[in-house]
Amino acid sequence: MYPKEIEKYLLKVQKPGRYVGGELGEVIKDKHDVDVRFAFCFPDTYEIGMSHLGIKILYSLFNEKPYIWCERVFAPWIDMEAEMRAHDIPLYALESGDPLTDFDFIGFTLQYELSFTNILNMLSLGGIPVLSRDRHDLNHIVVAGGPCACNPEPITDFIDIFFLGDGEEVDLEVIELYRECKRDGKSRAEFLRLAAQIPGVYVPSLYDVSYNDDGTIKSVIPRDGAPEKVEKRVIMDMDSCYYPDNFVLPNIEIVHDRAVMEIFRGCIRGCRFCQAGFLYRPVREKSIDRINEECHALCRNTGYDEVSLSSLSSSDYTQVVPMLKKLNSWAKPEQVSLSLPSLRVDGFSDDILDEIKTVRKSGLTFAPEAGSQRLRDAINKNVFEDELINTCRVAFEGGYTTVKLYFMIGLPTETMDDVAAIADLGKKVLDTYYSVENRPKGKSPRVTLSASSFVPKPFTPFQWEPQDTMDTLREKQQHIKASIASKKISVSKVTYNYHDTDTSFLEAVFARGDRKLNKAMLLAHQRGMRFDSWSDCFSLQNWLDVFAECGIDPAFYANRRRDFDETLPWDHLDYGITKDFLKRECERAYASQTSPNCREGCMNCGMKKYGGGVCYEKR
Amino acid sequence: MKNARVFFTKDGACKYISHLDTNRVMLRAIGKSRLDIWHTEGFHQHAYITFALPLSLGFASTCESMDFRLLDDNADMSAIPEMLNACLPAGIRVQRCVEPKYKPADIDSAAYAVAIEPMNAHDISLEELYTKLNDFLNQSAIIVEKKTKKGKKQVDLTEYILDCSTDFDENILLTLRLPAGSTLNINPSLLIGAFAEYCGVELHSDMTRTGIFTKEGKPFE
Ligand code: SF4
Repeated sequence: MYPKEIEKYLLKVQKPGRYVGGELGEVIKDKHDVDVRFAFCFPDTYEIGMSHLGIKILYSLFNEKPYIWCERVFAPWIDMEAEMRAHDIPLYALESGDPLTDFDFIGFTLQYELSFTNILNMLSLGGIPVLSRDRHDLNHIVVAGGPCACNPEPITDFIDIFFLGDGEEVDLEVIELYRECKRDGKSRAEFLRLAAQIPGVYVPSLYDVSYNDDGTIKSVIPRDGAPEKVEKRVIMDMDSCYYPDNFVLPNIEIVHDRAVMEIFRGCIRGCRFCQAGFLYRPVREKSIDRINEECHALCRNTGYDEVSLSSLSSSDYTQVVPMLKKLNSWAKPEQVSLSLPSLRVDGFSDDILDEIKTVRKSGLTFAPEAGSQRLRDAINKNVFEDELINTCRVAFEGGYTTVKLYFMIGLPTETMDDVAAIADLGKKVLDTYYSVENRPKGKSPRVTLSASSFVPKPFTPFQWEPQDTMDTLREKQQHIKASIASKKISVSKVTYNYHDTDTSFLEAVFARGDRKLNKAMLLAHQRGMRFDSWSDCFSLQNWLDVFAECGIDPAFYANRRRDFDETLPWDHLDYGITKDFLKRECERAYASQTSPNCREGCMNCGMKKYGGGVCYEKR
Repeated sequence: MKNARVFFTKDGACKYISHLDTNRVMLRAIGKSRLDIWHTEGFHQHAYITFALPLSLGFASTCESMDFRLLDDNADMSAIPEMLNACLPAGIRVQRCVEPKYKPADIDSAAYAVAIEPMNAHDISLEELYTKLNDFLNQSAIIVEKKTKKGKKQVDLTEYILDCSTDFDENILLTLRLPAGSTLNINPSLLIGAFAEYCGVELHSDMTRTGIFTKEGKPFE
């Protein structure tokens, strides 16, 4: 329930439905009946946050516990923020309408670096001191998890606890510990010290970081018995892992409004640019029976007529066709359509197409990532041109007319020839369309080439690489455009989109940043900066001003090549991947040499220690 | 196949669901309830529902209706409200399900209850606001600009106000009946906007649609 006083302002803002809750499936409890109140904050708008699977899983998991009440909080858009600030309305949770100050935990999910400023803004809107050191009592514990927790150093001044890896178990252990500490009258400091003993918990205030004269890290020393290395948590048995059988059903349109079924975690591929592909290793699958059961319940309970079978690379599910067939045994008669997002070029077969095209036929998207085979080898994107062309042919024969291809520019070892090859590939796909005899009649094909700027990320073989400067990236974008023109590809049939180099630069700064960036983050917040991932709000110049004032050179983080033996800001965090493996993979990239995926041959990345998953499958 | 019309209320958080989103919420509820209704044919098959009179964003209502066709001629209509309510957010409550008596085209007017207060309490006292409201309504003409398909048009609202009364105990309450339907539709916000301009203060109004009527003045059933 929203606070009564906001009613007056709701009709002055865009999409007031974002701010009122009241959806089917929201969990309402009596606050007097619970011991722990958890505000699950998504540092972006309602429409984006409500589309996110992680929040759905943890929301339901927490609320299954009678002693926890977990509520949702999203970042108000700038129009609503202005009203709230003008009328002293603190940021509130959608279920109770209570301000953040009423909560024991304020939890954020860290999905992208450019949402960091929103975290500070949400804390301040909620009346919570933004700096950890200004929070004293045993309440208002600010926690964060999600992929960006793998290098949380730029926001260590603001967050009390980071959760590393799968959250389902560790989050509850920390909540339970809090409950005990509260009961025993322990202090905030005591609680944090005890929490640091739980595997997967990183309490940044218990680590002292010192620097060399050149600005690189000299040492990271734990205090008060905190572990030297914090290891991520992994849930090995996906069949026994909690999965919600219902979602909160939004009343307004959101980005992805459909049922989502997670079919496995991790990725066998090892594309060298992809952070998620390494962070979530090893691959652990859910069984077909479990997927079938959970998926059917979810569709029945939510009423959705579309379910997305989610993972990092869904066609890599070992039994993908039998799974689709099993699901379709009820999905077809119940008019529920199945979709496989993140489909690989080589994972696209007639069999799969038969099972998923039944109801809807939208455009196809593939991510070859690089234009030339040489560069695809260097990044270990094991996709071959003939596979892509064959797949497009199958799709065109099956009635598809639009194909969207995603690429990256600025990849390590990339030359201008590799860049021009992006346009070539677009041309070849278009030619394929015209070579198909039974292509859809009366429709014009459309090939979209989309290029984003590569951002080197921690825990990948490219973690030591410099990002191309913004000038180089712009040059490369122009080169693609020029190459399209010289190929005489009709502009109406091939579109070319490119993403902002400015935001990629900032992303690169924060992705591999260290604790010195906390100062910049705070200053940016004090200057009212937020929603950096939205072009409406982002300004690179504002950021450059902030860095200059803090004496920070952003190029040190974004554009500098690191030595293999440099101590990296995230070296005290352990995601299971060994540095030795990453080094080997980086060297293979320099030699344009591919590596087998986990099912073809093990590269000993370090994940065997978890004792299960793909590492122990029969090959 | 038989035609069915459900009447529902819309209130609380659900006031902020737009007409388009209401359509989406209803379709999802029908899917979830497994109510067997007629679907459109063709590639994008979906359950076929229609609404008699769209409701503006921010309005509450006690009298919304939605039509669909039940595939089973012997379906028990009295069970339908409960089936749908289990699948709808708390702010939308289906009251009853009946066979339609009138066509949406028969709709001629709608009644509204509007609670009015100043946006900032210190701008004007409620007493003063109430006096101004009555003065405003007693004018010989209330000229506003109305957006039409052909562009902006000056209209005199007094010609369109069918019934009107004011009341004041704790709050200021304006009760209105205005033309509604597909040919001529007057939104009460037009009148409130003109009133705000007339008193020169920013107003907050809480609008509820309380009735929909046919040309004969009968409640739309
Ligand atoms: S240890 Fe081998 S099989 Fe296991 S995730 Fe790493 S590379 Fe793959």
